[in-house]
Amino acid sequence: MTGKSRWADSQEDAVAEEQRRKEKEAKKRAKLAQQKLAEERRKQHEQQEQQQGGVRDDLENRPAKRQRLSPAQNTDTAQKTDKAAEAPTKLLKFHAPSLGPCRHVDNFERLNHIEEGSYGWVSRAREIATGEVVALKKLKMDNLNDGFPVTALREIQTLKASKHPNIVDLREVVVGDGDDFSDVFLVMDFLEHDLRTLQEDMAEPFLPSETKTLLLQLASAMEFLHDHWIIHRDLKTSNILMNNRGEIKIADFGMARYFSDPPPPNLTQLVVTLWYRAPELLLGASTYDTAIDMWSVGCIFGELLTKDPLLQGKNEVDQLAKIFALAGIPNDDSWPGFRRLPNARALRLPRLPNPPKSSALIRSKFPILTNAGSALLAALLSLNPASRPTATEMLAHPYFREQPKPKSKAMFPTFPSKAGQEKRRRRATPDAPKRGEKGAFAKGRDAVDLTGLFSGRDAEAAGAGFRLKMV
Amino acid sequence: MASAPPKLIGNPMATVEQLETSASQIDGIPKELEDSIHFAGARLTQLAGILLRLPQDIIAIAIVNYTRFWLGPEGGSLKKYGAKDISIASLYVTAKLSAYPRSPRSVINVYAYFDAHETTFEHHAPNSPNPLDPQTYFVSEGTYQARRLALMRTEALLLRTLGFTTDTALPYALAITYMQTLDAFADHAAGSALTKRVLAHLNSALFSPQKLYLTHQPAALATAAIYLAGHEREMKLAGEDWWEVFDVGREELGFLVFSLNSQNGFAEREVERWAGRKVPLTVLEVEREMGVGVGMGVGMGVGMGV
Ligand SMILES: Nc1ncnc2c1ncn2[C@@H]1O[C@H](COP(=O)(O)OP(=O)(O)OP(=O)(O)O)[C@@H](O)[C@H]1O
Repeated sequence: MTGKSRWADSQEDAVAEEQRRKEKEAKKRAKLAQQKLAEERRKQHEQQEQQQGGVRDDLENRPAKRQRLSPAQNTDTAQKTDKAAEAPTKLLKFHAPSLGPCRHVDNFERLNHIEEGSYGWVSRAREIATGEVVALKKLKMDNLNDGFPVTALREIQTLKASKHPNIVDLREVVVGDGDDFSDVFLVMDFLEHDLRTLQEDMAEPFLPSETKTLLLQLASAMEFLHDHWIIHRDLKTSNILMNNRGEIKIADFGMARYFSDPPPPNLTQLVVTLWYRAPELLLGASTYDTAIDMWSVGCIFGELLTKDPLLQGKNEVDQLAKIFALAGIPNDDSWPGFRRLPNARALRLPRLPNPPKSSALIRSKFPILTNAGSALLAALLSLNPASRPTATEMLAHPYFREQPKPKSKAMFPTFPSKAGQEKRRRRATPDAPKRGEKGAFAKGRDAVDLTGLFSGRDAEAAGAGFRLKMV
Repeated sequence: MASAPPKLIGNPMATVEQLETSASQIDGIPKELEDSIHFAGARLTQLAGILLRLPQDIIAIAIVNYTRFWLGPEGGSLKKYGAKDISIASLYVTAKLSAYPRSPRSVINVYAYFDAHETTFEHHAPNSPNPLDPQTYFVSEGTYQARRLALMRTEALLLRTLGFTTDTALPYALAITYMQTLDAFADHAAGSALTKRVLAHLNSALFSPQKLYLTHQPAALATAAIYLAGHEREMKLAGEDWWEVFDVGREELGFLVFSLNSQNGFAEREVERWAGRKVPLTVLEVEREMGVGVGMGVGMGVGMGV
């Protein structure tokens, strides 16, 4: 690319200039690399602490943990070279699980069935050698055309990579009889409850202080996943497990996958259970990112406040209508480019002189929430994915620092276990989408008319404030 | 290099017991023959990966998975499983999990191409003046179906034997980051020359008979490759004991540098030893080789027309 003439004698100045620029760039890059390295080491430290069971109470220690990012510590690696002579250097070693073949499922005895999901069944089981109670999830082996189903492989791979106090621990993968296409089971920590079933049995929703504790744990798990380039793609309360120590752990990685920057093209939109599905997915976006998980977190936040799922659409169009009724109607300012999404073309939206603001809508729906609380909820439920906070930003939100403070996990009430004795009641939540399912916005479909969305508002017809019509 | 970001920081490592002996050796396969087969199989995986246009980090993970399969007394034995089959399955499943999946048909076709060669280490480049007669590597529909079924079986076997540990943290990107930290790119030309050597060392370490990727973490591999490359190019790298910044001790570094440095010699000896012949990559070929070996001494380089 560079022409030879640039290096001719007459252009000495340019050469010198180029040299300076290059040096500067190299320095900048080295500095960046150093910071990145320090950051990686910090995370490695933290991960090790977590793995070694030295998990301190996340809530109390969070600010202290964050301070370690301070710039003084970042140069740590750079200075270490000079200090090496002074003190014997302590080297970091990574302790990872061992290599080896799968054990047989016969090492476990099945106690009782917990739940039949769309991807397999889950049961409570006991490891015979140790007496420990675990959860066994049998993977569904459909579609063997291309060999071992890639979704099942991804579930295992992403779960294996996710060692975090708020993500269910995959202890090992065990197999049944047969040389090749035998059954495959995930062995996980057993948790007594899932948040959906639990809330169905509670007389009152969680207290505000409890909601904060749950949300912090959820955000902490999401921060870990997104930092490790994993999108969960099926967050919902029935996939959030809880024990009797106030701890929650995210489960069901059946839809999870790795992403990249820029995001991989042609991702399937058939992810996330309808009620927790982000608007960009409903509008047919084929590139999306971690913000779809943050939308689900917003839905879960709303659900924790009332103990009822926040947006219970009957189908995709209805889901979108319910979303717009709560989070406002998108326009080119609030969500640039949304009109170019495949299903947006068929959409007819109301033109209002003063469209209601999402923050006002959310405040009126949740009068119990403080300003900070509704600001966070409104931000998570931003229609524009780029406006939603990241998990890291969420953790730093003022909502968690104002009164009431997050309740200590140890002070959480205990609940009688459903999974312990009998099969959990089959919930009313819709299932995660199945592969090959068709969306409601099939190609060439007639326009979807949402113009009546806020028409009943002046009359304060609360609740049934819109009309939905397909033309 | 904008592609896959590092996802894992460390890998599970082989234990001392797993390195002491293998299922193949327990089944009576001489260590020397085992090393030869592992080397040829890993190299086949690399070549097939290139023909399938897979990025090097995907190929590297496939080779690590291939290597892990044979590890220790509980690993696969060459008496039972052919190295070629494991190589195909490993490349197929690793690509499937990546952003570059390849169809069973293209994978099977590529292996048929290498199969058609009469010797392991001399190749007809696909675009050379005297290419292989396409008839010799044509896969009929019936053959394809049978091989596809076999591939699916081997894939399941491979996954079970690996305990579903199919991902590996690699040292490539780490090495670049380290070099930046060490100011190795201050002189741009020297920096990129150094990078080339570093990557070459990391690639050839994939074939090492010491199974370096199963015994050392990416940080240590990256550090040793930089040290050796810097030494070869007589490049002064910042600071004394700089490797400690990357948490690598002097002893580990010494061992790794020695192993990396001897890798070329090992590869050359293998090529020489099997000149004009095929390294046995199927169960049947191994049996024949063993038959020959018992009578005539393994690895005598006897050109048998079997
Ligand atoms: N480790 C566990 N401990 C206790 N219960 C669990 C555990 N893992 C899963 N469950 C229970 O089993 C249910 C289904 O599990 P999971 O979501 O992983 O399976 P699935 O087949 O993917 O289901 P679906 O996609 O329908 O949500 C969960 O909602 C939960 O009630």
